[in-house]
Amino acid sequence: MTQAQRKLLQSVVRDGLKIQNRFSAAPLYAVTGKGHLKSEGVGTLQKIKRSLKRRREAGVA
Amino acid sequence: MKRAWLELFDWEFVTATNAALCQPKRALHKRTSDGHDRTRRLWEESYRREMFLDEAADLCRECHRFAPFCNFNGNTFAAIARSLVDTLKLKADEAHVIRTLLGHVVAGTASELETEELRAFSRSLKEEQLKKR
Repeated sequence: MTQAQRKLLQSVVRDGLKIQNRFSAAPLYAVTGKGHLKSEGVGTLQKIKRSLKRRREAGVA
Repeated sequence: MKRAWLELFDWEFVTATNAALCQPKRALHKRTSDGHDRTRRLWEESYRREMFLDEAADLCRECHRFAPFCNFNGNTFAAIARSLVDTLKLKADEAHVIRTLLGHVVAGTASELETEELRAFSRSLKEEQLKKR
């Protein structure tokens, strides 16, 4: 693996771990033909909305 | 525009990603007897090709469906696809939306609207929106 790939791997794994709780470990898509993904949840959505609002306000100010 | 979006992600990379994602959960990192070889073949035939971003997501979705590993196939291919956003010059909120769409497509849970939205975005991408590698 090249240096660039090693760096990329770290970043991909970091993001993968952040979203890991939304995925089933078992290969459900292969077995059922239907994808599964847990909802991000209200907390995350609220966090995104708050962040967007802050950014908009900062842009206006 | 088309680009070799996945060219840095050879099969060794895919396997290392799955191993690293299995480790914290102490999930078994092992290839499957029925899915691994055909997925690897499909990936190796395709990952260096120039394609649209939505086609790259679709390749990741297909490989997720083939289940090359015993655990965390969706997590592995979704993380790879989501990382492609980092090669684009986008505002944070737009990057978040595209990252989410990529994740949903690869997970196999995207609605028709989401799939179409990603497709439209992919086909409208211009050279100047790409970061240099």
